[in-house]
Amino acid sequence: MLAHFFESYGFSTVLVGFVKEHIEAIQPPRALWLDFPMGRPLGKPNDPEYQKKIIRSAFDLFNERSGPVLKDFPDIIPVKDGRMGYALPVELVLKKNEIGDINKLVKEVNDEINSLKKDYEIAISGRKRTTVGASEMQISEFTNYISEFVRGNIPPSPRKGIGPIPQLKLVVEDLQAFYTETITYRDKVDDFEYLGTWFWEKTKAGRLILCLEAVSLESDNKILKQIVDMSLITPRFWSEGPLPGTSGSGW
Amino acid sequence: MVLIPEMPAIGRGFISRLEKYTFDNPAWTIPKEKSSRRVSIVSSAAISRRGDKPFSWLANNHRVIEKDNLDLVMTHVAVEYDRTAWQQDINTILPIDRLEEMAKNGEIGSVSNEHYSFIGSSDPIKMERSAKEVAERMKDDAVDTVFLVPV
Repeated sequence: MLAHFFESYGFSTVLVGFVKEHIEAIQPPRALWLDFPMGRPLGKPNDPEYQKKIIRSAFDLFNERSGPVLKDFPDIIPVKDGRMGYALPVELVLKKNEIGDINKLVKEVNDEINSLKKDYEIAISGRKRTTVGASEMQISEFTNYISEFVRGNIPPSPRKGIGPIPQLKLVVEDLQAFYTETITYRDKVDDFEYLGTWFWEKTKAGRLILCLEAVSLESDNKILKQIVDMSLITPRFWSEGPLPGTSGSGW
Repeated sequence: MVLIPEMPAIGRGFISRLEKYTFDNPAWTIPKEKSSRRVSIVSSAAISRRGDKPFSWLANNHRVIEKDNLDLVMTHVAVEYDRTAWQQDINTILPIDRLEEMAKNGEIGSVSNEHYSFIGSSDPIKMERSAKEVAERMKDDAVDTVFLVPV
């Protein structure tokens, strides 16, 4: 759509995209289809030549004399079972009565965060950037803010103009980014299936967010329930589910 | 090859049901010679400068990304796509360094001073007003070529 807009305003456009059927239907003037997982349109981090190969393939479409033109990028970045991103195992759904001692979990998450902090600082130093910070809260505040919701409370948002639940979502994403930025740098790993499995199935932080999901699924707060039903807190979009009453049913 | 029928059930159903707009008389702008192209990136990754207002979940507006300030955060509503790539390398979704290298190499003319971000979960028809604002800014920056990069 934006390609059509900008082309009509006098710009030459080219896009890359992941869903071939949509590109075929929308017919942007010039498009390159990428058989890649979503989230990485330039393919591979820290691989300038591969990234430029994609750009050059896209920009080659400027040589076409008429359109719409859709070409396939020749490489494939394989995905697991057709899913375009990590998905939680469908059986991994906690119930409220499985949460256990929330004070103990909070301490475990904070200990885990502290154990990663040095490596996180090294990662920032190496990359000269961090993506943590959309919530504008300190890392040390993440656990307590999330845990208030797990306890059944709706704490006030610390930010003007952003409600408690949109803020919660930003905090959850900042928490994950803190973990995955640290591990990708420290362990030199670039595999979102591995990283998803590690964060959601191995870490205490992942468990805390699964507890948040469990509470939210039974919450009287419609917004809180909706964001888990629509898989906006936990990654269930690429599941074969949903199971009855679990996250993902909102789709 | 991953086409919609190969996707798992929830994602397949959602993506199949998305509205797919078409244009009756789509425009076609003849590209400039590559050595004189000035390129801007338009991303749908809901990235913005640290401290900017986060994207709301169905926002129709955009954020401006200045090429000299790439301290960015992401506030996209969706969590179904991989975020670990951009955490490692901004160029995986906003390939500014790659375009600068291509400009130095004569593969394009130059890279714009600004790039632009939308949130891809929003209805694109409702983005038109904001797209016009972006178009005006790009014209002010002598941009003639737009590289659209989704996540």
